Amino acid sequence: MIRGATGSVGSGLGEWLLQRVTALYIGAFALYLLFRLIAAPVSDYVAWKSWFAAGGIRISFALFVASLLIHSWIGMRSVFMDYVKPGWLRFAVSLLTATGLLLLAVWAADVLIQGGR
Amino acid sequence: MDTVKKRPVYLNLFKIHLPVGGVVSIAHRATGVVLAVLFPLGIYLLQLSLRDPAGFDRATSILSSVSGRITVLLVTWIFAQHFFSGVRHLFMDIDVGVEKAAARRSAWLTWVGSIIIVLLAAVWII
Repeated sequence: MIRGATGSVGSGLGEWLLQRVTALYIGAFALYLLFRLIAAPVSDYVAWKSWFAAGGIRISFALFVASLLIHSWIGMRSVFMDYVKPGWLRFAVSLLTATGLLLLAVWAADVLIQGGR
Repeated sequence: MDTVKKRPVYLNLFKIHLPVGGVVSIAHRATGVVLAVLFPLGIYLLQLSLRDPAGFDRATSILSSVSGRITVLLVTWIFAQHFFSGVRHLFMDIDVGVEKAAARRSAWLTWVGSIIIVLLAAVWII
């Protein structure tokens, strides 16, 4: 690894960009969901299930969930780096957050796969 | 290092007035943390609603109960605030609205925007 003058690994530019790319997708998909649900409110289970089961929707949802998880990770980590000063505590909360987000990813993947059946 | 340590620290919170841009910045972080914490609730409701007709009814009854509606309104407000302050930051990334007057105006506008959204949502769901 090449370390910069500040001693950190990498420049952080990748995270900076990823935070913005995921933000754009989250914003766009949230607006799509909002307008879709206002234009045609879901009235019953069958309509909801058949809408969700379509491949395009579930792939869009998968990207949405992935974006939310990545965006949460980068955001939470920035908060920890700024406000959690003791190194061991920062490590602990980061580890806890990462574990939680990974579990959420597995859970969400299960919901998305089951939702197609 | 000594000169660094001897810098005066002035943190009288009753005399320091954080400018509106600073409040919006902190609020962006606070709302972001709340949204991240609420993420499991979203997945739970999605899972429940997709499971079977009974699960769908359960999910809609949770959301349409009084506490459910209040929660939906709060989350809508928190999301809208995070959304608008996020859009503001994205514009600033491309050097739009970075002048002091414009930045203060857009900071106030994020609150106006999120309050308008939550009022519309209130009309929609109540």
